[in-house]
Amino acid sequence: MNASLSLGIVAAIVISTVSFAFFSIRRVKMSPHEYIVGNRSFGALFLWVLLAGEIYTSFTFLGAAGWAYGLGAPAYYILAYGTCGYIIGYFLLPAIWRIGKERNLLTSPDFFVARYGSRALGTAVAIVQFVLVVPYVTLQLSGLQILLKIAGYGTIDGRTAAIISFIVITLFVFATGLRGTAWASIVKDALVIGALIFVGIAIPIQFFGSPAAMFDQLLRAHPHHLLLAAGAADHGEIWYVSTVLLTGIGFFMGPHSIAATYSARDDDTLRRNAVFLPLYQLVLLLVFFAGFAALLIVPGLKGPAADQSFMLVVQHFYPPWVLGFIVGAGALCALVPASALLLSAASLISKNVLGDALGIATSDRSRLLITRILVVLVGLLSLGLWLTEDKSLVSLLLVYYNGVTQFMPAFVFGFLWKRTSVWGVTAGIIGGLALAAYLAFNNLQIGGANPGFLALALNVALLVGVSLVTRPPVEAST
Amino acid sequence: MSRVRILRTLLVVLPIVALTVCVPLVNRIEPRLFGMPFILLWILFWVFATPGFLWGVGRTEGRW
Repeated sequence: MNASLSLGIVAAIVISTVSFAFFSIRRVKMSPHEYIVGNRSFGALFLWVLLAGEIYTSFTFLGAAGWAYGLGAPAYYILAYGTCGYIIGYFLLPAIWRIGKERNLLTSPDFFVARYGSRALGTAVAIVQFVLVVPYVTLQLSGLQILLKIAGYGTIDGRTAAIISFIVITLFVFATGLRGTAWASIVKDALVIGALIFVGIAIPIQFFGSPAAMFDQLLRAHPHHLLLAAGAADHGEIWYVSTVLLTGIGFFMGPHSIAATYSARDDDTLRRNAVFLPLYQLVLLLVFFAGFAALLIVPGLKGPAADQSFMLVVQHFYPPWVLGFIVGAGALCALVPASALLLSAASLISKNVLGDALGIATSDRSRLLITRILVVLVGLLSLGLWLTEDKSLVSLLLVYYNGVTQFMPAFVFGFLWKRTSVWGVTAGIIGGLALAAYLAFNNLQIGGANPGFLALALNVALLVGVSLVTRPPVEAST
Repeated sequence: MSRVRILRTLLVVLPIVALTVCVPLVNRIEPRLFGMPFILLWILFWVFATPGFLWGVGRTEGRW
């Protein structure tokens, strides 16, 4: 009874969000540019919603709460790195947008083709980004399953429900493209803010009297939980500083973020977004509150169970309809980013692999059709990979962030240094990716610092060194 | 460097420095506000001040 009420609410939320987005785009004329980058027409508010929709995923919320619950102070890094990412984005995104507009770019690898004049590089970048992004989609499926399992009060394992909702969202992307994702983000953001005000404010007030009283109790029970460990300790100060810098640098490097960048109406739209997005970090503070409260209310959860901490509090202490609303908001946090990721993964293949490398489907009509078919195929691929529960997926996720960060020097040096050559960029990316993967798989840390730093340093060194000894690009033909 | 450029550089570098290398220097509990430890308050302050800083950058560039 409880399970059907809460799951019913989740289903109603997902279905009405999808219908709302369908309804909103019913008059839009489809083309590859409309489908993949929204015809470069998104204004400041619409883009804000889309970016917030993509950035704050189910794993931001479950993971941030899990960190606040299990590790404490290291969770603060999530507040800081996004903010650093927005500061860098203020300068980076308008530059990416401008070349995108001038050269009519669709995907992130298109930038490499336009700036460095090499289709082969663009295709290689597309394949690497595809390999990095697909595990990220499967991560959203895992988040979805956790949420639905909680909403079912343990009566379902969540897997079937996760598969159904994922198929719904794949068909939704098939039909609507990036603009549909942006409309769905509007519902997602509204619900998420509501849900988090509830779990971050109402739970501490109800159980402790006020958030302040909750902190008093937390400091008595766990005196070191809210401080970073000194120096080079695990998740200590050095780890914090290096991780905030590194992840801030890589913040907008996912191919879905580049697609969102292209979708802006003009460059000032992107600057306005960089100015206002830090305010959205407030929701993360609420997630921390929920995680801290859960630590006092349901202590002792270990490992992945810590990620479910505050959801379990809601499940135990609140009526099913409240749980339904909160899981519904959480489900949208998995589905909306998943749709943006699916779309960008499909466009990497349709544009840079099939189109540029193999000369297949280069007319507008066939490219649109192929991209749509690929959305479904990539959706099925992610689903299949997720169901195999392959361990290498977890390893690939470890590399995702440090992996996409390796594309950053190609953008920054590409804009600022004329001499940057295609060989320099290629050497940098290969060296950086190889070292990042090696360090991640072997779980190596150097002096407590984030290992991605070394990879990025090697990348930049190779980029500069090789560019100096190879021919600078002939000013790429426009 | 012109005065405007110095100002703009400061507006960009200050929040980044405050959110990264400064954090180990403020890694303590007291003084607290609304129960929150000082290190968290420090980070929150800079997160919510950043829109002001970036808006200021736009002003120095004559964008708004």
